[in-house]
Amino acid sequence: MSLTRILCALTFALLLGAGGAQAQSNQASLELVEPLAEYKLYVAEHTASLVEDTKEFVGAIKDGDVEKAKSLFAPTRRNYEKIEPIAELFADLDVSMDSRADDYEKGEADPNFGGFHRIEYVLWEKNTTEGLDKYADKLLADVIELDSRVSELTFPPEIVVGGAAVLMEEVAATKISGEEDRYSRTDLWDFEANFDGSRKIFELFKPLIDDEAFIAKVESNFADVYEVLADYQTEDGGFVSYEKLTDMDRRVLSAKVNTLAEELSTLRGRLGLG
Amino acid sequence: MTKDSKKKAGAAQDYGCPYASRRDLLFGLAGAGGAFALRSGGAFAKDAPVSEPQKKTERADETSGRQVADAPSGSGNTRDRVPFYGEHQAGVITPRPATGIVASFDVVARDPEDLEQMFRKLTDRIAFLTQGGKVPQLDPKLPPADSGVLGPVIEPDNLTITVGLGNSLFENRPWLKPHKPKQLVRMPEFPNDALDADRSHGDLSLQFSANLLDTNIHALRDIVKNLPEFLVMRWMQEGDVPVIPPKPDGKTESARNFLGFHDGSANPDSNDAELMEEVIWVDEKDDEPEWAYGGTYQAVRIIRNFVERWDRTPLREQERIIGRKKNNGAPLDGGDRESEVPDYAADPDGKLTPLDAHIRLANPRTEKTRENLMLRRPFNYSNGVTKSGQLDQGLLFIAYQADLDKGFVTVQRRLDGEPLEEYIKPVGGGFFYVLPGVPEPGDYLGRSLIEAASKTSDDKPT
Ligand code: HEM
Repeated sequence: MSLTRILCALTFALLLGAGGAQAQSNQASLELVEPLAEYKLYVAEHTASLVEDTKEFVGAIKDGDVEKAKSLFAPTRRNYEKIEPIAELFADLDVSMDSRADDYEKGEADPNFGGFHRIEYVLWEKNTTEGLDKYADKLLADVIELDSRVSELTFPPEIVVGGAAVLMEEVAATKISGEEDRYSRTDLWDFEANFDGSRKIFELFKPLIDDEAFIAKVESNFADVYEVLADYQTEDGGFVSYEKLTDMDRRVLSAKVNTLAEELSTLRGRLGLG
Repeated sequence: MTKDSKKKAGAAQDYGCPYASRRDLLFGLAGAGGAFALRSGGAFAKDAPVSEPQKKTERADETSGRQVADAPSGSGNTRDRVPFYGEHQAGVITPRPATGIVASFDVVARDPEDLEQMFRKLTDRIAFLTQGGKVPQLDPKLPPADSGVLGPVIEPDNLTITVGLGNSLFENRPWLKPHKPKQLVRMPEFPNDALDADRSHGDLSLQFSANLLDTNIHALRDIVKNLPEFLVMRWMQEGDVPVIPPKPDGKTESARNFLGFHDGSANPDSNDAELMEEVIWVDEKDDEPEWAYGGTYQAVRIIRNFVERWDRTPLREQERIIGRKKNNGAPLDGGDRESEVPDYAADPDGKLTPLDAHIRLANPRTEKTRENLMLRRPFNYSNGVTKSGQLDQGLLFIAYQADLDKGFVTVQRRLDGEPLEEYIKPVGGGFFYVLPGVPEPGDYLGRSLIEAASKTSDDKPT
């Protein structure tokens, strides 16, 4: 997808008032066009790698190669976790790909519980790929659907900008405790991807914000979370098990994530996106 | 006064027992001896007539004659204000309003500067929340400055917020550890305990109390919103006590707990400033670091009550387990008021008050056990239903004392194995050290500790 194409489409959408920018002067809206377009490229890049990586992951499952499938689980998800800030733009796919057993009254016993976490559950808890074929096929279909939707998707600025904070809210509310990847304990991979995704948005819109103290604070909080995570990184760029995370570090992460959520919650307002 | 209680008061004096009833003394036996007994003896909450001239303390509310564990009168008004500035923090000897919360946090602070920043912010928020005022209005494109739970103007509503520090705050920080209050430890697991890690311990406790539950909730949310970089919440427990208007003669009674008994009857008199110095506030008399003077130890216990089972227990047995009458709170050896004082010396075999009755074990009322006094300021809690379909209710027990070992710990050790244990299960809580108060505006909570800690970290050879 070319940058110019996206830029034209976005400018058009903004000028028409699509995406909730009505209240803004066109001048302010236009300023948002470039970072939004950049962000769309970022998303498209990651959905494209998501498709590639998922193909390999699904291949391993179909080959019955449990160990290979396990090793590909976290790196594959990582692509998705990076674009999670805007998951509400494709909520149906998010539910299908990334819901958790708790989202179903019957938990793991519910056949509708599918997606990444169903596969994770079977790989780690049952140590097999048996019975996973239909879930793997569905995952791949969803991923391909997501990738094809992205190019046509309107990116409302308040959703993108708001997404940076929303993801921190999610981490604070249901991830920091290690609920997300409870079978594989690969939560730290997700954390990093979530921070990356949220920081990307902040970095893109930062030039439009006229408050150095605020910027410095957000940057230092991001730096702090990466510093904590660095202690858990493995040589191949992955992460050790969530169980290795000390209470003290979990507390620091939790405090920083909440602080980031608090700070980033002002981002929309600061950009005039009420 | 009943004939009985007069006899008891007299008897108490005969062998120098400090537990003479203060009311009896004032009504009948007052005089030089009575006054002396008052000063040197234990004056209990329910023994203090409301008419007695009160000792002056900094806080107006503390001179109202109400006792810490009195049932709130219901005359509470959202404009009621408990002063924030003072030698001691509010919320310890302040009469308990209808609702309370204890919340426990872990603290993220790497050095004394971080900790100081946290204390200063906390001080600002508490000063504002407890005194009230207008909420700042921000650009509506931004999240509002305040949750709005109390509307655009915060009424103080009798709110107090009391800050305590836990053992782990000191233990996990080498620069703070040398300054830990001498008796502060991680709350041990007592024999009847089944502590739930998710409701136990913590680096910092906040006790909120106010007329309305929403006032506490609002304050808690304000602090969570304003101090995210320092405070990570561990657990919280809400509670309340029934509101009971004073009787026509102005007398107030202790609130009842969820076992249906008056709770707080025999608390030490919180209006007796000298007694509070002795029993509650840490000062030169105590073997504690100087920064801690003006503070006190807080023991919090979340104690589940097996209420279904209790309600199926014969009344007589209930009363023998507690050691008081259920309908009026009077001791089992006579009288019909909760203010009466039991005379254990006259009942050495426990024929009237069993030797293992809760109140007799908790306070045998001998010269020696006087050093084990504490001030209880509990709330009742109701947390819904257990997995077995039973009511999850109990007591949010909160006790204050200058000497934690002689106070809570010793009393709990005496209570270990008591018959009441069949009906209760402590599941959470923690020990905390309540910081000294903030004497005046510009100062902040924890300053004395920060100064002590900064001194050590400066002294350290680099
Ligand atoms: C759910 C648990 C508990 C219940 C239901 C309970 C109930 C009572 C009741 C009804 C009284 C008599 C009224 C009064 O003087 O306040 C009392 C007194 C007392 N309780 Fe408890 N209590 C509990 C736990 C504790 C604990 C954990 C301690 C301390 C370790 C404690 C210490 C005392 C003391 C010191 C007294 C006063 C005894 C006196 O001076 O006569 N209680 N309690």
